[in-house]
Amino acid sequence: MAAETILKMHKINKSFTGVKVLKDVDLEIKKGEIHALLGENGAGKTTLMNILGGVIGKDSGSIYLNGQAVDIHSPAEAYQQGIAFIHQELNVINDLPVYENMFLGNEITGKLGRLNAREMIRETQKVFDHMEVDLDPRAMVRDLDFSYKQIIEIAKAIRADARLIIMDEPTTSLREAEIKHVFALMRTLKSRGTTFIFISHKLNEVVEICDRFTVLRNGKKIIDDDITDGEGNTVTVEQIARYMVGKDVLGVEVYEPRDVGEVVLEVDNLRVEHHVKGVSFQLHRGEILGFTGLLGDGKSELIRAIFGDIKPSGGTIRKNGMPLKVRIPARARKQKIGLIPSNRKENGIVADLTTKENLTLVALDKCIRRGTISYREERQTCQSYVEKLKISVADINNLITSLSGGNQQKVVIAKWIHDDPDVIMFLNPTQGVDVGAKNEIYKLIMEMAKRGIGVIVASDESQEIMKICDRAIVMYHGEVRGELTRERFSEESLMILSTGGSLK
Amino acid sequence: MESKMSKTLADVRNNKWFKLASANSVILVAVLVIIAAWIMEPKTFMTAQNWVNILRSNATVGILAFGMTFVIISGEIDLSVGSALVAIGAITMFVLNVTGSVFVAVLIALVVGALFGTMTGFIVAKGRVPSFIVTLGLMYIYRSVSMYYMKGGGFFGEVEGYKAISNTLVGGFLPLPIIYFAILVAACVYLAKYTKLGRHIYAVGSNKKSARLSGINTDKIKILTFMLMGLAVALASIIETSRMNSINATSSGQGYEMNAIAMAVLGGASMAGGRGTMIGTLFGILIMGIINNILTLIGVDPFLVNAIKGLIVILAVLLQTKEKDR
Repeated sequence: MAAETILKMHKINKSFTGVKVLKDVDLEIKKGEIHALLGENGAGKTTLMNILGGVIGKDSGSIYLNGQAVDIHSPAEAYQQGIAFIHQELNVINDLPVYENMFLGNEITGKLGRLNAREMIRETQKVFDHMEVDLDPRAMVRDLDFSYKQIIEIAKAIRADARLIIMDEPTTSLREAEIKHVFALMRTLKSRGTTFIFISHKLNEVVEICDRFTVLRNGKKIIDDDITDGEGNTVTVEQIARYMVGKDVLGVEVYEPRDVGEVVLEVDNLRVEHHVKGVSFQLHRGEILGFTGLLGDGKSELIRAIFGDIKPSGGTIRKNGMPLKVRIPARARKQKIGLIPSNRKENGIVADLTTKENLTLVALDKCIRRGTISYREERQTCQSYVEKLKISVADINNLITSLSGGNQQKVVIAKWIHDDPDVIMFLNPTQGVDVGAKNEIYKLIMEMAKRGIGVIVASDESQEIMKICDRAIVMYHGEVRGELTRERFSEESLMILSTGGSLK
Repeated sequence: MESKMSKTLADVRNNKWFKLASANSVILVAVLVIIAAWIMEPKTFMTAQNWVNILRSNATVGILAFGMTFVIISGEIDLSVGSALVAIGAITMFVLNVTGSVFVAVLIALVVGALFGTMTGFIVAKGRVPSFIVTLGLMYIYRSVSMYYMKGGGFFGEVEGYKAISNTLVGGFLPLPIIYFAILVAACVYLAKYTKLGRHIYAVGSNKKSARLSGINTDKIKILTFMLMGLAVALASIIETSRMNSINATSSGQGYEMNAIAMAVLGGASMAGGRGTMIGTLFGILIMGIINNILTLIGVDPFLVNAIKGLIVILAVLLQTKEKDR
């Protein structure tokens, strides 16, 4: 492993309004590797990468590219140095064909500014050939899989002769097959000498794709190491998580055995067009039932159909033995069913409302006296949940967007607890939440089950299911592939079922 | 010296009044406009009679601006209000003259207004058509059908009692429309801040998906918001027809929709939905009213008045955008 160093960042310091966010951080990247940059939210990853990408300046420290000291003052300068920064929000326009996206702002034009489409298509094809990507440059972006947007961004970087590509959480919005697609491309480019810095919260992906990793915590570098050492030992997800939080959080036990009550929700042969092909199950009071599977398995459509968010094409739902027809979520709520959706920003919070107003949004009726919202009642309700759920908030009358992701998620959970549901369903409950806050959310879920609420947890992460569920249903292409009780949980068996295999 | 400087600057920034002023820039603008007007016309501007004039001549559009504020907060727009005012006015005058009953005429006006609004809301919510398009179409339809029905002219009231609705002076100088307006302001503040419907309108306008998944019937909220708008149009129409004792197919309600939108936006309502306050809109109405008034008082060419109003709207909203970015 005597590869040459392409990038060295040495003793980088940065403060924002008096707060030190980076303290003497070193980062060394070798040529042709995929290097993971890891840390909790607020650890300083993004700040460090923004300095490298020329988005912000550094207070002190030096940057060496191929051994030469460089000063990068703007994203354009970074680009000239061969550094491309692919942000989480992709800069790809749906209504344009692939080749026009490739040349956005940089078009090849002929006389009178006429676009030279033929030349642009040829250039694009050349880049795709080099990348071994099978994609028609004339295709409209909107007709493509999501992963192609990522691939177009990478192709843009390759065309600009980028030798170091920074990817900020590239896989959060991709499906399993698409992730494989992007990873395959990264491996191909790596074999041709392109270097990647890979920022991700999904640690199993990091172990899968990366060669080395650097962990930041509270603005300091904690460790950098090979993913697989000289003797072939691979670092585990648990070890990396421990480096990230500084304590053994994944190991903390939250599961508590409980007695479960009678059946509260019964789903029979539920179907949703294209997504769910006849699923049946029963949920008991006080039970935590998990649903997992690879993305595209139909579990989120199943849950949303039960909640009335999308229309089922057949089947029956019974609540306490009574048949239930829910056409909109408002009806499900009246039947004492709650949902904590995935994608908090889009589906969970209302950004223009305060923390208090978000928290009382579902069960606002409880704070209404003679047709008038009682601000006193509302404030007291909110404060009691802030204490109970340990939500850290400066002022409940500030906008909810002033809270961290984990605390926002707690508010979204609290608004449903406030409504006293019989059944509560979670879709990826800890998506975009720090490792530390994750455990608190698991404890909350356990609390609810202990109080006799029937809980459904649908998650893409099998560890999450194994941590808190009494029973798990694994789905595959819209069907139930298998059901496991807690004693039979193992990552292997969950994986075998979710990939369509069978257990002996 | 330098540290002392910066300290005082920080002091100013943390000053309660400074914070209040920057959080309510519309109030600041209103105060500035009032002071400027007072300086320009020290004798006539600050008289009770002049203020009565300002309020009375803006009560009608002001009522529309309040309805519009709810619609804008819910993330929609209503371009049809000026034309709807004419259509409702025509129906009201017709009913008034046929039945001879002021009560029946007023009741019909309110019912028709609510129906018009509900219909708009229904097409927007259930038909999933952008409100800009729906109300643009309705704007043409209401105006055109009214013109056809009134043969391009107008209707005159033949019932003496109807005029009293707008033309009575309380205590000899305060016109009734100002009192209706004041009651409406109080009702709108209450609705926006202290009722479930008000809270839900904000939630739906800010993030429809989150609101829906919080168990809010978003279609119902949209329909109710447009119904409120319809009621406001009916009220404005009653005041307008009573004041003139007539309705005119071509001139009545002309440009009211844009005036109402300008007042709401001046008051801080965000076209993206989810943001806006009734107090803000009240000051938006005052600013527009005072500018109109003072420009007339100092004798600015009436053709130029709208240009200055337009300028003020753009400037005020520029100021608000700056604040949000900080």
